[in-house]
Amino acid sequence: MRIPVAAASVIAAVLAGWWLAAHFAAERKLASLQPLPGRGSYSITLDFAPERFHQQRMQEAGRLVEVRDRTVYLMDVTPKSLHAIAGEYWVDKVARWEGK
Amino acid sequence: MTSLVLPVPPSRRLFAGRWGKVLRGASGVLLLLAAWQVSVPLVGLSAYFYPAPSDVVASFADLMRKGILPVYFADSMVRYGAGLLAGALLGVAMGVLIGLHRTVAITLSPLLKFLFAIVEVAWIPIFVVWFGYGFKTIVLALVYVVFFPVLYNTLLGVRTAPQILVNALRSLGASRLQVLRYAILPSALPGIITGLRVGAGFAFRGLVFAEIVAAKTGIGYLIFEGTQTQQTARTIVGMIVMGLTWLAIDLCFLRPVERATIQRWGLTVDAEQRA
Repeated sequence: MRIPVAAASVIAAVLAGWWLAAHFAAERKLASLQPLPGRGSYSITLDFAPERFHQQRMQEAGRLVEVRDRTVYLMDVTPKSLHAIAGEYWVDKVARWEGK
Repeated sequence: MTSLVLPVPPSRRLFAGRWGKVLRGASGVLLLLAAWQVSVPLVGLSAYFYPAPSDVVASFADLMRKGILPVYFADSMVRYGAGLLAGALLGVAMGVLIGLHRTVAITLSPLLKFLFAIVEVAWIPIFVVWFGYGFKTIVLALVYVVFFPVLYNTLLGVRTAPQILVNALRSLGASRLQVLRYAILPSALPGIITGLRVGAGFAFRGLVFAEIVAAKTGIGYLIFEGTQTQQTARTIVGMIVMGLTWLAIDLCFLRPVERATIQRWGLTVDAEQRA
């Protein structure tokens, strides 16, 4: 039973590492935006033009208003959702947005 | 007594043993990949019809960079794990119940045989109507797939438990629960694990189909979406990920657990003991 235990440990370590990396990445990307309001509007810039997958992911976080080039504009985003989005490694930059 | 040991030629030693097996397997895969890559310019079709291995590698890198593959993979594995666990628990519970109670067996047998004949593919559209797209429908489909192999193998294990052990325990005053715990379940365990391994394989195939029909994420969906968006290389990435994941699950979990279970719990009698 050494192999299953070792494999499960590796999986657990990868998941923990992934979670930690996402947490610290979010902290870093949101550092300049602190303190976060209850609900806010943000522009999320990616390293590439967002695909349907990324837009769906953003829609889970808030109200998707517009997609322009590599940037997605969101409204009604809670701090928790913003933290989750900012933790994604494919998110390059998060900035406040005045909204429409 | 002296024995004559002939030296093994070096060429044979290189491909002998466990690593030799791995090397031979890897060389076969490499040969196939090389033939595939070379054939692409000869065939002269676009990447949509016939992508090269280099296109597939590029597509894999792209899916990783965009964070699509990790999320799809995680979603698929969560669904697979939940379906496998629930299906196995249900299969074992029903297998033990039917194996131990004649009345239950007579009552449920026709229904189970009837349901066994209906493949999970036929259920998925109804599950979609009842539970909508997503997690519930996919997990239910997987439970259905895993349930039957686990049930029938558990049933076989329970019914072939050595009667001598059951009688011995009963004569010593063991309760029904103790007989189940110390005689029936240990002897049924190899059967349960075999059923689980078979069910796990079926569920893995079922997962792809369920995700094609009832999901907007997952490796099955990636396979489907790839062809829909004319990104055939993505479809192939999905297929390769499925294949490799199954190999890893089998190698790291199913096979070692099966081996350990048979050694530790399987009330097996080997040929030497029989003699």
